[in-house]
Amino acid sequence: MGSLELTQGVVNAILLSGTLALVAIGFSIVWGILNIINIAHGAFIMLGAYVTYWLFTLFGIDPFLSIPLSMITLFIVGYVIQRYLINLVIRAPLLVTFLLTFALEIVIINLATFFWKGDLRSVTPAYSGAGFTIGAVQIPYVRLGAFAISLLLTGLLHVFLTYTKTGNAIRATGMDIDAARLQGVKIAQSYALTFALGSALAGAAGSLISISFPIDPTMGGAYTLRAFLICVLGGLGSIPGVMLGALLYAFIEVFSGIYAPGLKDAIALFVLVFVLIVRPTGIAGKAFYH
Amino acid sequence: MNQEVIFETQGITKYFGGLAAVDNVDMKIHKGEILGLIGPNGAGKTTFVNTITGMLRPTRGRVIFKGQDITGWPAYRVGRLGIARTFQIVKPFLGMTVRENVAVGAMFGHKGKTRTTRQALEKADEVLEFVEMGHLRNHFADQLTLAYLKRLELAKALAMEPELLFLDEVMAGLNSREIEEAMEMIRKINASGVTLLIIEHVMKAIAGVTHRVFVLNFGTELAQGSPEEVLNDPRVIQAYLGEKFVERQRRMQQASPQQ
Amino acid sequence: MKKSGELQNSPQAASKKVARQKVLLGLVGAFVVLLAVLPLFASGFWMRTLTLLFLLAAMAEGWNFIGGYTGYAAFGNVAFFGIGAYGTALSMLRLHFPFFLALLVGAAAAMLFAVLVGLPVLRLKGHYFAIATVALATGVGEVADFWTDFTGGAAGLTLPFFHPIQLSNYFFYYIAFVLVLFGLGLTYFIMKRKLGYSWLAIREDEDAAKMMGINTTWSKVVAFALSALMAGLAGGIYAYWNTFVLAEEVFKIEYTLQMILATVLGGPGTVFGPFIGAFIYYILITLLVFFLPVGQLHATILGLIIILVMVFTPQGVMDFLSGRKRLTLSALLENIRTHKV
Repeated sequence: MGSLELTQGVVNAILLSGTLALVAIGFSIVWGILNIINIAHGAFIMLGAYVTYWLFTLFGIDPFLSIPLSMITLFIVGYVIQRYLINLVIRAPLLVTFLLTFALEIVIINLATFFWKGDLRSVTPAYSGAGFTIGAVQIPYVRLGAFAISLLLTGLLHVFLTYTKTGNAIRATGMDIDAARLQGVKIAQSYALTFALGSALAGAAGSLISISFPIDPTMGGAYTLRAFLICVLGGLGSIPGVMLGALLYAFIEVFSGIYAPGLKDAIALFVLVFVLIVRPTGIAGKAFYH
Repeated sequence: MNQEVIFETQGITKYFGGLAAVDNVDMKIHKGEILGLIGPNGAGKTTFVNTITGMLRPTRGRVIFKGQDITGWPAYRVGRLGIARTFQIVKPFLGMTVRENVAVGAMFGHKGKTRTTRQALEKADEVLEFVEMGHLRNHFADQLTLAYLKRLELAKALAMEPELLFLDEVMAGLNSREIEEAMEMIRKINASGVTLLIIEHVMKAIAGVTHRVFVLNFGTELAQGSPEEVLNDPRVIQAYLGEKFVERQRRMQQASPQQ
Repeated sequence: MKKSGELQNSPQAASKKVARQKVLLGLVGAFVVLLAVLPLFASGFWMRTLTLLFLLAAMAEGWNFIGGYTGYAAFGNVAFFGIGAYGTALSMLRLHFPFFLALLVGAAAAMLFAVLVGLPVLRLKGHYFAIATVALATGVGEVADFWTDFTGGAAGLTLPFFHPIQLSNYFFYYIAFVLVLFGLGLTYFIMKRKLGYSWLAIREDEDAAKMMGINTTWSKVVAFALSALMAGLAGGIYAYWNTFVLAEEVFKIEYTLQMILATVLGGPGTVFGPFIGAFIYYILITLLVFFLPVGQLHATILGLIIILVMVFTPQGVMDFLSGRKRLTLSALLENIRTHKV
């Protein structure tokens, strides 16, 4: 492989890391604050992708402009699902919450397949193939835009969690639920907002993915595993950790795609299991957001 | 007293990250004695016990039991060799009956290999009579009060028929009558030939049942000796209660010289 | 801690409980006899449905070892089913082994995989273990799909029909039925022994179990390998019954969910729970498919059943059947009361 390919690979990985960070960050806050693994996270990403797809296909709305709509939709979906379903079993053993979100995932995917069919679809605005080159390295506009928006949303999340009253309440809930309750934080509300926020970020990630990659109803599962892997790589509990994990993982994905296409997912899974096994204690433990 | 050393640590050290929770501790336990292990909160007592029983691996140092180097052995091998412990935060098997809880110790402990399941259940009944919990044998562990949960911890450890038993704060949270009962129980266990190391904050119990006391502070040995010596050692009092208390006590003694 | 609706505290309740258990045991016994003679009356359709049900029950019995008794949320047991199916099919096709020998090879392969993977993965806890098993099952499925030379890839593997063909339904019905009984017997046998006690101790508190002399690694790996044995045997039987093996089909994550659901529905950590749960699940799904024009919404129905069970009776119906709890509205809502915030 020449140095050009290498440079292109590095650029691709960096651009991809933005979207992947967005994929993982919603998953990460839900895990960190509510202490549940949301297996349906990937399904929410898929829903976000379809919101953008339908708005583009039916009404010609620019995919980047549809991101807020996709986020609002998923925010509502997430809020309702948490408040009226997941919240009923939130303190139950792991098996219960895990199985519940797993079931949610298959219901959402199955319904999506039923109504929208299993075909691969793409969002193709006029500028989708366009880009510019630096030297011989190509940078498509859509990927750069996705990268920028991911950074923007990640930054906004950080600002929200750090500087707003609600954000502080959410962080307090994640650190010590009893102390937070004594401070007057409404836990149920805090949980529902966190989950809604995580879902909205999943929606945004889905919208961005739909601009760069073809989508179908089963696309989500792979992203749930990626989100988990990124949290494990970067360490659960902090936004910079997720971004670092996403960057690391983006390199693994891009370069395994170059060297061993077809086994890309298997390699990702192998890395996941390997990382888990090498650091089984270092990454466990109660997590919270600082 | 018999001076045969049954258990010994040499320079046991445990780091968490860059911090030494236990630092270079040499401890000898003599066969047949009751050794008290005390120290302020955070002194590293529980970490020390975790390190020498195989729950954690020591960073440095050696652990020797009956002349055998058991450093870094997994906990289950330590348990089978004849060392048992209780946990400060009780660890009952909630979904099992009291009898089954105790039988697990008899099945897998020191003499577990020689027993069938049925024999282990019979042994459990025996141990439950010994700790006066026989009437609760068919209750599920999640129906017990804290005092009984603490006693269940003890029964589980005893069913392992250990030669050496570590008790980690079995009296914390008990009322004074329950503490008296627990002290009596500890004497009874010791009389049956078991060597004990007891971690305790209840000073009445330390003074009442131990033969010797070992003090940990900031992960290192601060003092050791007879209970009277150690509990009156100003360094120990200071470590426990802080400068202010020592100062106040000195002033009070000055105010009432006859004391 | 305990709430109303539970009777286990008093001695009368204990004897009532024993009596209830005897009745339950009798009912199950009668049911087993009924199933044994059923092929004399039943149509081919019902025999085929019951064969599939038995295979699910057997897998659930296997999952119960690791998930129910040992308390490890294993979400990749379909890998053992798939490996059993491929192991059996490949032994028959490439090595020309007779079916029963091939079945043993398939099951052995599944167990070997469980041991190799279990040694590292069973060191993980909670979410990490759950996700690692999902990842492994997905990964094995992808490798099977990708490794075309060996597994036939997307073309799949085609097996010969059972001979004589008119006895085929009976053959598979009884072999699956025997597998279920084997699973029940194995569960009962183990849970009376030290291995069974070690599983329960690990489930309730692994640190305490270790300190009490239990070689937890060994116990957990055995639990995992035995659940692989059950799923591997079920996979091998399924392969020959279906006469076709395809990675997409035999590594479907829905199978894992079904075996967990069956176990949880019946009562995890009980001898008969998985068996009873498999029946309840099959009755529910058969009725729903019969009355509603669901068609391709099969997975949605499965998902909704899981959601309802998780919300209302995550401890399964065994608590009600054995008399540990009364079946009342308040008992159904109790789970929500205790687990919501």
